[in-house]
Amino acid sequence: MDARRHPEGMSPAEQAALQERIALAKTGNAEAWGELYRQHAPAIFRFCRRAMPTREDAEDATMDIFIKVRQKLSQYDATRPFSAWLYTVAANHCWDLLRRRKLRQDLETGEVENMPLEHPDPGQLERLIESRTSQQVRRALDQLPARARMALVLRYYSEMSYDEIAATLGVRRTFVGVVLLRARHQLREILEGQGGASLAAGGAT
Amino acid sequence: MTHFDEMTCLLYIEGQLDDGRSREIGAHLAECVSCRDLLRALQHESAFLSSALTEENEAIPARILNEQGRGTPSWAWTLAFAAFAAAAYWFWTDGIGPWIDQLSNAGFGGTDVFSMIVFSGAFWEGWSDMIDAMQIGALILVAILAIGWIRRRVRRPVAVAVVMSALMFAAVLAQPASAAEVRRGRTTVIPAGEVVHNDLVVTGASVRIDGTIEGVLIAFTRDLTVTGHVTGDVIAFAQSARINGTVDGNVRVVANSATLEGKVAKNVTAIGSTVDLASGATVGGGMIALAGQADLDGKIQRDLLGIIGTGDLEGFIGGDEWIRGGNLTVASTAEIRGQATFEGPREPTVESGAKLASPMHTEITQEMRRNRMSAVRVGIRAIFSYVGALVVGLLLLAVFPGLFRAILRETGRIGLPFGVGALALITGGFLIVIAILLLIIGIGAGVAALMIYVPILYVCQIFVGTWLGNKIMGEAPAAPGSVTGAVAGRMAVGLLILHVARLIPVLGALVGLAVALWGTGAVLIGFYRMSRPEVAAPPVTPVPA
Repeated sequence: MDARRHPEGMSPAEQAALQERIALAKTGNAEAWGELYRQHAPAIFRFCRRAMPTREDAEDATMDIFIKVRQKLSQYDATRPFSAWLYTVAANHCWDLLRRRKLRQDLETGEVENMPLEHPDPGQLERLIESRTSQQVRRALDQLPARARMALVLRYYSEMSYDEIAATLGVRRTFVGVVLLRARHQLREILEGQGGASLAAGGAT
Repeated sequence: MTHFDEMTCLLYIEGQLDDGRSREIGAHLAECVSCRDLLRALQHESAFLSSALTEENEAIPARILNEQGRGTPSWAWTLAFAAFAAAAYWFWTDGIGPWIDQLSNAGFGGTDVFSMIVFSGAFWEGWSDMIDAMQIGALILVAILAIGWIRRRVRRPVAVAVVMSALMFAAVLAQPASAAEVRRGRTTVIPAGEVVHNDLVVTGASVRIDGTIEGVLIAFTRDLTVTGHVTGDVIAFAQSARINGTVDGNVRVVANSATLEGKVAKNVTAIGSTVDLASGATVGGGMIALAGQADLDGKIQRDLLGIIGTGDLEGFIGGDEWIRGGNLTVASTAEIRGQATFEGPREPTVESGAKLASPMHTEITQEMRRNRMSAVRVGIRAIFSYVGALVVGLLLLAVFPGLFRAILRETGRIGLPFGVGALALITGGFLIVIAILLLIIGIGAGVAALMIYVPILYVCQIFVGTWLGNKIMGEAPAAPGSVTGAVAGRMAVGLLILHVARLIPVLGALVGLAVALWGTGAVLIGFYRMSRPEVAAPPVTPVPA
């Protein structure tokens, strides 16, 4: 379905063409590189748009990621899906940038581990989902601490595995689920706040 | 069987549980409605998140879509290359060649190539002291670049450790310099018999050295008199400086009136409205004099190089003599062993008894000629700074593409960076003054202040230049791969224009000032933006049930 996000989800012929293009680009062929860029830049830009706080940041990050990709192309292992590799480079780059901006407001491990999460009421959760638009979700996402947002983007946009997410964020693999769940809770809280009414929540049910 | 918690449910839908656990949950779900509901709600949430994130709610910016195919316009490279080639050609034929001839004429063939090429344009040999400061600045820039490079590869604590150890290393290096003895006061006298076993820095209205300084003497004073013995160099800024004693090193003096009567083992550099080398004085090396009026009656073992309004030569010169100026009189007592040259508007007066190894070579300078010469010199300096700036710019671009772009973007905002730059430079001016004051107290601290200032002032032209290049040639295609090349081309063109503009007399100074204000502001804001914390999320407050 998602040829945009995962261009490998395509016919063997297209697969072969992609690999050939990569091989050509590795040798320094500018045309092949241009093709690769055209094919993947939009997805990477969207990824950055979700991961980074502003549009300008996302544009810059996209540019820088492709510079890195071109430099590192020789390290790409053709047995792995290309877009997965691309996302790994992109995720590392963005996370590096965000980390460098000193995520002071980020509620770090201690809190995530210590704060018990309220068991949600499925009915309330369903109602919350139905009453909110995608745009509201994106806006809420922007308000999340960097790591929570990054985790959600890596999982639900790039569809990375828990292992890849753990490697990118530099947390233990067993901790990825906690980060994701915590992020979802924070997102729910923000979405509830947006709607005004308290649909589900922190309180006991 | 107990219900599962949300965490387990999430891991279950995400397929993160092992087979046994999954089967267990599957079995439980078959009979537990509430867990099924929770599972479904979480699945819906996942799907909702995926669709919200992947929804193509905004167009891909043209900047990203359009750039990839375009390369650098070849004419940009051609222009940059042609400019560079022409500059290099001019540099060799017009600059270096005659210059080296001239220098060797003046007996400067023996000095090292670097200081000859870079600093003999400034006749003040004391520049060699300044070189240290500039080299330190350059080293620091390189160190910053290196740290940046390391930081991209190594995680934070290591980078911090590297920075800290580098700083400590620098501090240790600076230590010997700051160990100099410092004396202040209205009047400082080192009486005969007293020995200072150290470098000595003195300030005050009047300074008199009758004793012995085993080291360098640095003096900022109104009246300086040295009758004693200095084993190192004497560096003096004074209204009147009189050196009657013995100096084993060099003498570099900037003074309204500078008088040398003693014995200097090495070279003398004297800048002043009057410079006197008394008949008893001996200079073991060469002498450089920049003076309105100079009476040179003493003995100079090697070459004399001077820019002198009115000059009287009555003494001995062991090497060549080269003087440019208004009037020159070579008295009958004078002796010049090497080639004697004078450049000036009229013939020098050479009295009959004067012993010249060969007839005085005279060049009558026209005003035009003088301008041309200085233009060549200014041009050479411009080329040096152009090539240097370009190299540093490319280095910055290669090592910190992100920071480079951030600063460049700030440069494009013009107004804000101008304001910030003006503010920073005014406070920066204070910093420099403080740094100079600190130089007296401790060179380490002064260098530390310069550390921040010099590189910033230096790199601002790079960003303004690149901005200018962008304006002229169109926004650099931000295409991956070609991005560096394209920006580099624009940087080359923009910097070239800036450097050419700087050669224009009055406008050039204004351009330089504007670049400094504007660029400094942009660099500071760029740095700030790169290091600023993310826009903080509003605190998430749980809504009470």
